Amino acid sequence: MGLITETNQQYYQGAQGFRGTGNALTITTTFNSDLVFTDANSWDPTSVNYALNNFKIYTSTTGFPGSWSEYILQYNVAGNAITFTANPANNLFIVVQLSILDGGQYGNTPAEEAVGDTVEENYGTYQYNTLNDIIDNYMVGYVGDGKIIQTAKKSDIVFWAKRTLQEFSYDTLKSIKSQELTIPASLQLVIPQDYVNYVSLCYIDRLGVKHPLYPNNNLTTNPYYNQLQDSAGIPTQDNFGEDLEGTSLTTERWRTNNAGRAINGLAQEQIDNLSYDVYQNDMGSGPLNWGRLYGLDPQYSQTNGWFGINERDGLFTFSSNLVDRLIVLEYISDGLAYDLDTRVPKMAEEAMYLSISYNLLANRANVSEGMIARFKKDRRAALRNAKIRLSNIKLDEFVQVMRGKSKWIKS
Amino acid sequence: MAVNINTVYTTVLYILNKEQRGYVTPAEFNSLAVQVQDEIFQAYFPDGNQSNRQNQKNSQNDTEFFNMFKDTSYKLYPFERDIIFAYNAANLGWIQTTTSVIFKLGEIISTYNTTNPQFDSITQLASKSDYSQIIRSKLTAPTNQHPICFTTQTTTLVAPSTAQQLLIKVNPQPNVVTINCLVVPSSPSWGFTVGTLGQYLYSSATSVNFELDIAEQTNLIIGILKYCGIIIRDPEIIQTAEAEAQEVSINEKS
Repeated sequence: MGLITETNQQYYQGAQGFRGTGNALTITTTFNSDLVFTDANSWDPTSVNYALNNFKIYTSTTGFPGSWSEYILQYNVAGNAITFTANPANNLFIVVQLSILDGGQYGNTPAEEAVGDTVEENYGTYQYNTLNDIIDNYMVGYVGDGKIIQTAKKSDIVFWAKRTLQEFSYDTLKSIKSQELTIPASLQLVIPQDYVNYVSLCYIDRLGVKHPLYPNNNLTTNPYYNQLQDSAGIPTQDNFGEDLEGTSLTTERWRTNNAGRAINGLAQEQIDNLSYDVYQNDMGSGPLNWGRLYGLDPQYSQTNGWFGINERDGLFTFSSNLVDRLIVLEYISDGLAYDLDTRVPKMAEEAMYLSISYNLLANRANVSEGMIARFKKDRRAALRNAKIRLSNIKLDEFVQVMRGKSKWIKS
Repeated sequence: MAVNINTVYTTVLYILNKEQRGYVTPAEFNSLAVQVQDEIFQAYFPDGNQSNRQNQKNSQNDTEFFNMFKDTSYKLYPFERDIIFAYNAANLGWIQTTTSVIFKLGEIISTYNTTNPQFDSITQLASKSDYSQIIRSKLTAPTNQHPICFTTQTTTLVAPSTAQQLLIKVNPQPNVVTINCLVVPSSPSWGFTVGTLGQYLYSSATSVNFELDIAEQTNLIIGILKYCGIIIRDPEIIQTAEAEAQEVSINEKS
């Protein structure tokens, strides 16, 4: 039996058809997506929760385009089974339409359309296994009598599966997320909810071309504590005995600085002054001395802009030249934040299994070192395979890139 | 198929009386029958464990009908029950709804049927201390798809029971709990009526057969004979029965 259980219509259109019998009728949908039906009144279009359903039901006596109308009579949903309160007429055409961005082809008015993204969320899911599938498959294939791992607590498997997914998310899986954001006047953006580390930040120009932003690591900082001091420099406390804290002057100075014009970490104004200072201690007039700042430091030689991370407040901070700019923040998560995240590419399935096995055996008493070493090697090999597969190297594309180089590639 | 108790009783009597060695009354026989059935039932578990080691060593004979581990597992079928547990609010846990006496808990299935999607999830049975630790880890915290449970006993008596019962606490709270259990075998009994001459006449209506598999008939007879030898103080019977039982045992396990 194939692994695909949806029909083409279910997959592409998010629709499944049924026929009325004239008798009491319960229909069961077989989409990959489960029906969302919040409460017993969710059948009613006037109910608040109706909009939370991820599907609509349409009926037609002929089945012809334009003849469909939204079903607004009472029904109940248990699991994926829909039970109609009133008996649908014999041979009545019934369609369950999952919400889809274009609203589907059965609604006659925008209000009747099933607008949402349930269908789109299912697109491309065949390339993944869910984490629960991985756990179930692992229990079947790797744990049991006559196998190397005779017994294992399911909670241990769940633990190592999730830990493995976390580790894979950082450097193996294609799990880079991105947000398109506009930088406000405060020059600050909140770190995303599922953020673990950033991959890159860039601003997008009017042509849609991206320009990388660079961290302001060695230029400025975001102090964690900003205690208020008395005249003797001693931090002052409030009535509860806690240190009083103010806003960071370092951050404020960086924010108001025109850092976009910085070269070698110095603003243009500072460069002018530097030149002048050099002149004072050296020779000649100011303007003649410009250009004596020899050698550009590559890490500072850019005018795109800078960003920093204020760990204390959980914010990204940006240099002032980026205000109102459109930026794209690419970051990685750990693969466990949302249900949709807990998916493992099939390309990395074997690596997942072997990684779980290795971790189980390596942390278990009385397992021979030889066995542990074997699984360590197996895991490493599988992980390397997964990385190569997921790096998506195609020979044609590779050759095309290398054609721009001076090296001749024989193929 | 169960072992007919009349067949066992008449065979035992036949062997005992062959040389006028004595007679076992129905009451004595019934007591011995319970004892021997229990011995055989209890022996399945160490025997199964022992034969399963051959699985683990990859030396098990797996030709049809000759896998000893499967054979032992098969003999437990009369005692397997899917027992539905009901939630008891007074004890904040699940108690069984049947009168069967549970011997062992097997696979626990927690059903979540008011969620969408619905789940019939295999539930991990943990010790109380493991349970406490597992629920504290964010990675292993139980979910509808990976629930966890532990066993304890009721603190509030649940009528009609007058004693404390097995209580199962499942996290997260399911809608139905079904457990594949092994139940204790019911006590066999050779029922009878008294004939006109005062003799005992077999009554199938009042008898309870052995629940053990039919393959255990020989072992039942040998086991009962052994105890009969003790009752009638005949060492020869005991030795013969023990030698027979030992021979069977060695043959099965070697």
